[in-house]
Amino acid sequence: MKNKFIIAIATLFVFSLGCKSDSDYLDIKPTQVLSPELAFSDPTQVLSILADLYNRQYDYPRLTEWVTFGDFNESFYSENGQYNNYHGNSTWGFRGYRGPDVGGRATYFWTPWDYTYIRELNLFMERCATATALDAATKASYIAEARFLRASYYFTLTQYYGGVPIILNSLEFNGTDVTSLQYPRAKESEMYDFVIKEAEELKLLLPANSNTKARATKGAALAMESRAALYAASIAKYGATTPSVSLSGGEVGIPAGMANAYYTTALKAAEEIISGSAGAYSLYKKQPGNLSENFAAIFYDKTQNNEVIWVDDYALKFKRHGFTQVNQPRFGAEEEEGGRINPSLNLVQSFEKLDNTFAPLATNDANGDYVYYTNQQDIFAGRDARLGGTVIIPGSSFKARPVDIWAGVQLANGTVISGGERGAQKVLPGKTVPEQVVGFDGPINGIGNTAQTGFYIRKYQDPAIGSGQRGVGSAVWLVRYRYAEILLNAAEAAFELGQSSVAAGYMNQVRARAGLVVPLTGGDITFDRIVHERRVEFAFEGQYFFDLKRFRIAHQVFDGVALNKTDLLSNLSKATKRSTQPYSLLPYKYYAPGSPNNGKWIYKVDLSNIVTASDNWQLGNYYSEIEPDILTRNPKLVKQPNQ
Amino acid sequence: MKKLILKRFVLFEQALLRKHYHVFLLLITLVLLSRESVHAQQKTITGTVTFQQKPLTGVSVKLKGANTGMSTNEQGKYTVSLPTGRGVLVFTYIGFLTKEVIVEGSTTINVELEEDKQQLTEVVVTGYGTQKRESITGAISTVTSKDLEKVHGGSQVSTGLAGKLPGVTFRMPDGRPGGGATIQVRNMGNPLFVIDGIQQDKRQFDNLAPSDIESITVLKDASAAVYGVRAANGVVVVTTKRGSRGEKNVINIDTYAGFQNWSRFPDVVNDSYEWYLGKADAEMNNGGTTTVTKEELAKYKEGTAPGYQSFNWKDFIVQKNAPLYQQAINATGGSDRINYYFSGTNMFQYSVLGREFTYGRKNINANMDANITDRLKVGIGINGWNEVRDNPGIPGGDDYNLPRAAILWNRPWERPYANDNPDYINDIGHNESNWAYNNKKYGGYSNDRRRYGSARFNAQYQIPYIKGLVAQGSYSYGLEDRLHDGHEYTYKTYTYNPTDDTYKATGGSINPWRERRTQKIEKNNYQVGLNYNNTFGKHTVGGLLISERYDVRDKEVFVHAVPATNVLPLIYFNTTDTYNDRDDQQARIGYIGKINYNYANKYYLEFSGRRDASWKFAPDKRVGFFPSVSGGWRITEEKFMKSLLGENSKLNDLKIRASYGVLGDDDNGILPTDYLAGYNYNQNGYGILDGNPIIGSRDKGKPILNISWFKSKILDIGADFTMFNNKLIGSVDYFKRLRTGLRGTKYDIVLPSEIGFNLSDENINKDEQAGGEISLAYNGSAGAVTFSVGGNVGYARSKFTASYKPIFFNSWDQYRNSAEGRYKNLFWAYDVVGQFQSQEEINNYPINIDGQGNKTLLPGDLIYKDLNGDGKIDGYDERPLGYGRSADGTNQPIINGGFNFSVAWKGFDFAADFSIGSMYSYNQENEIRRGFSYNSGALNTILTDRWRRADAFDLNSEWIPGKYPALRFNVNSASSVNKNSIFWLHNVTALRARTLELGYSLPKSLIGKINIQKARLFVNGYNLFSIDNLSKYKVDSEVQDTNGLQYPQNSFVNMGINLTL
Repeated sequence: MKNKFIIAIATLFVFSLGCKSDSDYLDIKPTQVLSPELAFSDPTQVLSILADLYNRQYDYPRLTEWVTFGDFNESFYSENGQYNNYHGNSTWGFRGYRGPDVGGRATYFWTPWDYTYIRELNLFMERCATATALDAATKASYIAEARFLRASYYFTLTQYYGGVPIILNSLEFNGTDVTSLQYPRAKESEMYDFVIKEAEELKLLLPANSNTKARATKGAALAMESRAALYAASIAKYGATTPSVSLSGGEVGIPAGMANAYYTTALKAAEEIISGSAGAYSLYKKQPGNLSENFAAIFYDKTQNNEVIWVDDYALKFKRHGFTQVNQPRFGAEEEEGGRINPSLNLVQSFEKLDNTFAPLATNDANGDYVYYTNQQDIFAGRDARLGGTVIIPGSSFKARPVDIWAGVQLANGTVISGGERGAQKVLPGKTVPEQVVGFDGPINGIGNTAQTGFYIRKYQDPAIGSGQRGVGSAVWLVRYRYAEILLNAAEAAFELGQSSVAAGYMNQVRARAGLVVPLTGGDITFDRIVHERRVEFAFEGQYFFDLKRFRIAHQVFDGVALNKTDLLSNLSKATKRSTQPYSLLPYKYYAPGSPNNGKWIYKVDLSNIVTASDNWQLGNYYSEIEPDILTRNPKLVKQPNQ
Repeated sequence: MKKLILKRFVLFEQALLRKHYHVFLLLITLVLLSRESVHAQQKTITGTVTFQQKPLTGVSVKLKGANTGMSTNEQGKYTVSLPTGRGVLVFTYIGFLTKEVIVEGSTTINVELEEDKQQLTEVVVTGYGTQKRESITGAISTVTSKDLEKVHGGSQVSTGLAGKLPGVTFRMPDGRPGGGATIQVRNMGNPLFVIDGIQQDKRQFDNLAPSDIESITVLKDASAAVYGVRAANGVVVVTTKRGSRGEKNVINIDTYAGFQNWSRFPDVVNDSYEWYLGKADAEMNNGGTTTVTKEELAKYKEGTAPGYQSFNWKDFIVQKNAPLYQQAINATGGSDRINYYFSGTNMFQYSVLGREFTYGRKNINANMDANITDRLKVGIGINGWNEVRDNPGIPGGDDYNLPRAAILWNRPWERPYANDNPDYINDIGHNESNWAYNNKKYGGYSNDRRRYGSARFNAQYQIPYIKGLVAQGSYSYGLEDRLHDGHEYTYKTYTYNPTDDTYKATGGSINPWRERRTQKIEKNNYQVGLNYNNTFGKHTVGGLLISERYDVRDKEVFVHAVPATNVLPLIYFNTTDTYNDRDDQQARIGYIGKINYNYANKYYLEFSGRRDASWKFAPDKRVGFFPSVSGGWRITEEKFMKSLLGENSKLNDLKIRASYGVLGDDDNGILPTDYLAGYNYNQNGYGILDGNPIIGSRDKGKPILNISWFKSKILDIGADFTMFNNKLIGSVDYFKRLRTGLRGTKYDIVLPSEIGFNLSDENINKDEQAGGEISLAYNGSAGAVTFSVGGNVGYARSKFTASYKPIFFNSWDQYRNSAEGRYKNLFWAYDVVGQFQSQEEINNYPINIDGQGNKTLLPGDLIYKDLNGDGKIDGYDERPLGYGRSADGTNQPIINGGFNFSVAWKGFDFAADFSIGSMYSYNQENEIRRGFSYNSGALNTILTDRWRRADAFDLNSEWIPGKYPALRFNVNSASSVNKNSIFWLHNVTALRARTLELGYSLPKSLIGKINIQKARLFVNGYNLFSIDNLSKYKVDSEVQDTNGLQYPQNSFVNMGINLTL
């Protein structure tokens, strides 16, 4: 022992460094990573992977992103930062322009090309199949669900792009051979054939249970089949009107001759659901006394809701969204926000009168004088009950709070007195103290979150107290398929197959639920009727966009010509009616002491001066552009037409 | 006495060798008692200390080995009593060589001190050790306590470094209480911070008490290579004060208090009439109609009727002259065996946003070194701080955001209180920016507290028989604790109804938000090694071998709840809806070696290397080796040079040096789990299946097995010199850093996207950073005046060298998107050749400016240059016109510098320093580019100088020219404002006054009587002005947010006192 201090120091450092080898010291166990083996070692863990795969379907619109609800002039984007993106631009670009990102780069809506998702679906099925810890029944049901998700996603891709490469197993790169990994685009018809074939097989593998909403069922598979077949059929039929929207290889466009077969498939799949073989699905009619509320409840009532077939589900505290928070009426909202989606007059006036006729809202009488209404809602009386279930109209209420929508006070001489903020006060002529001259919900032109078109959105709003709170959010689910669509799919397919009275029968069921009890006859069913019925039934459900595309009428509806008031108010029933700019219907309080009309309401049709552009749909917009980078990486991919 | 101890030590060793522990214990007792055990006759020594025959005041005189001493008076006289009548007197004085005199007989000892001409003997802290300045062969800059102590401009250490260190770039975009500055070494990226030998992050650096710092040394080149895999962006080495051996025990008190005001902040139109006129103007410009009526406008102009008045929100929100203060006290000193430094600091800073937005920090620091024996030295360092950011809880991620934005969002006719009654917050329609609610009474609170405590233990043992060989080791443990409590209350806002004199709740929030974040960060650092240093004749050899392990564990829990009440603070399970848990770890291992050699203090050579391993990478990619070499040549030490220059040379010293080394950077965006295959659990939220929440798992994709750190090679060539009797000191450096192994994709093989995975990135791309620095300092005197002047300037810019076989689709793609051989971070914008002067000019203009045939244009709109001459303006007409942000989001000036001046006369001293920043860009956007954009509120006063019609309501009235284009209401797509152009982009050059300080030290004759050694009063200003080209936009020259609404730096005026007891 030469020196105790050396020993002491040495001891100290040996002690402090411990015995860990370098590699032990550096190997840090991850806290949130499961190896593939562990991940497939028990069914609970496999379900965790499946849950994520369910979450990754591409929905449009999305409850988490309110702007996806606002497009195509069915509404006005009532948020200052968005005016420029949607009211100052006239085209969508070939990928669906959605505005700049934080870094100022353009971003797009119509670009789902998530082959990573497809690879993971394929891997999931492959790993499931070889997992030793799972029993055969569990494996089979998990694999069927993943297969359904894969077919559904290929259907989504087809809706945007037409034919895309169909990859059905996980691919690996051997380090040299790239060409064997280059898959060409399938024909558009092959895409639909694939979806239909998968659905036909899956309907036998998936449970026929109408109480299962968020997972794949027989009902969901058949619903997908009916929608896909209908799309294929209409593209085959109406694609003929836009011959340049096609590719010679069939990647885009479907020969007209195939239409009938697809319509037949669509009808058959729909009728399989209607027959009850997939489970007890029916139209939601729980609130017969209030048809508008009944219609709205389809989307928020999760208890024994037999209409809904497949949803993206939410649950408070775990997976929630702020749709109500950002869109509910601004006045009295839980937060200092709301009201971002303002449905347009274009949409509102397209709801029929109860006698099955179309008419603009009566703002003026035959002499051009204003019509004076005692109650704000009177102007909307006698219309399709779906209006009140889709749109919050002036004079109605939400969450038991009346909305306060009025643009100002109109004097007898025509002068308007209004204010620059919600609930502004001014002194009216002949009075001494200020009083309110504009609604607490607006509208005030250029002030976001107020009802700048005169309306707020109702569909998908959550009536639960607290749903508008940032810290709480809403658990309203996103409905992907519902029974009313099955009926309207059947109606459309039947109509196209020449079975007009069958079509009328299905359509009347849906209309009756909306209070339109005068039945349509087979003779009443026209193309315009089909398009219109879907527009009002499925407003803000994403169908309008795809309907405009598959019927090949988008370029007529958005022809780039500014929409004048006369155009706006005429031809309400026409499917190809121009709708290039979102109009407003603004209520004013009439102030003329002594006049019998004093205190009554008048309405004015208006176009916000923020709307500077007229939408212009180019033929190239019918199919999303495949990004140049994707094309570069696979020389076998052909470009889209007209781009 | 010395001999006696030595003798005893020999016995000591012998005792140990023979395992005679009882003898050993006895000897220890003897050593401890030795001081008392010798008694002899007492003696008093007096004398005078002079320099060039003039008396020196304040020279420390003490008996070697004793704890106490005294200093000379104004006549240079001293008196020391020697208990034993024998000993060695030590005279020390800053700037002079220390002199030791053996007391032999005489009781009067007069001493003439020599100036320490070799300022070069200054010791500089480098990686894992210290070096004499003369032997430095790398690019190393140092700033010492002397310079740092004069900065009273913020709470974080980084805020005081502007212009002080050549090669260190500085920008402080956010000046809120507790805010820090972005500092980079040669603009290379985020540097590594090393505090007292331990690798730390910037937060630890920033939270040191500035007065505890002895020195900050920046390793700018290969000298940083000993820090291996984290050294590529330079290393900032901080040494805290430790006290010196044989120094008097003193207590220093440094305290100041001051006021802060925003340097600059945009002004807003606070006149309702002006605002509405602007709106009318803007709406007419939109589409020829306006909702504003002339009648209404007249009432706003009158401004008296209810609803038509104006309110100045900026004056309401900004409360000027926000106080700040700091008290620091320390005790330091040492005997010949122990030195110590104990300190406590308390600092508190208010903000100009009312007085509820605050920052406070308390620091304690204790360092002590003790020679337990002549060979064994141990030290301990304890460092702790406690910082609190306390402010009202305001919606949004940053509680400071809405109050600042409110200044430009709230419209001038809006008023904070309903009916001006302070009991009722007015419903202004967007109440989150109503300042009346942005307070703790109505809004809630946010209290973010971080606490840190660390203890370091180190020991050095001089190994017997090998002279100069020292075994050393250290262990450090640090624990950082964060507790953030936030509560945003529910609140109501009211509308006053004059008709029935009632207040009705019409707005507010019923959403309570309660959150708590708890974080613990634990750090361990272990170092053990050998250090050798010896001189053989003219040969001096040094070496170092160290093994270092370093680990961090960071655990965090975040809880969010929706409480049922505003008044009770606790969080209950039933209202909780978020619970996030995190546990991250890091581990690194380094083996460090270093050899230096010098011959006759003339030739210097140093080799160093580090074998480093980082946990981040795949097991076979973890280890890297980072060598460096450097050398220096003091030409002035050469005989031929001496003869050439002659005896009275102006050039006293000239050293040429060069260094080259390889450094690493493991912060390359890769995640520590990226090399693992499998599924990420709970990273993409829940799925709801059958109504049940299921935690999701997602495939991680292909594991990344081939990525490792960036490799950075730095070459530095420099020279250090002193001239004119060492009065002028300077250095010059040129450097070039080549980085290889940047992440990029190999395009040899292009895989179709349809396979669903990408080939993982590889370490293939290259860039380079080049530049240099010059610094000069002159110290001089004239009569009783001493002065110093100094300055430095540096340039550092980065260039992308090459990617791996880049592919471009066409020549345009190459022009626009290629980075090859180009400077990085370019800002692409449109060039502007003028503004349209009339509608005729627009109508006849041949180039399509707005993409719509110029039909949206108005006089005053910008005329963009059609760069490619195709008759239309689009993305092809952009070109690089400014400096953009780097990948890490910073936009540091490419040219940085500073200069300083100080002068002292008798008791007075004055110091001024300035910083310079140039070659960076500021882009005016949003609220300072467009009117009426956010909440339709903003109308920046600069926009009143705009093109407008003489009569806003008459489309045919003549145009009045202005600086800015005509306003539009909520139309961001207007051609003049929707593009980045040189009109909005400003390339900034700023000269900013940093410290201006005037001090007065009370004369000794006055304070000596009350036993105070030094008492100095000072007045200090910091950031008092800046000369730059952003002043006309009312934007601070270092603000980064393009809307100009960032919390700018403050101007400070402080008064304080330094006391030495």
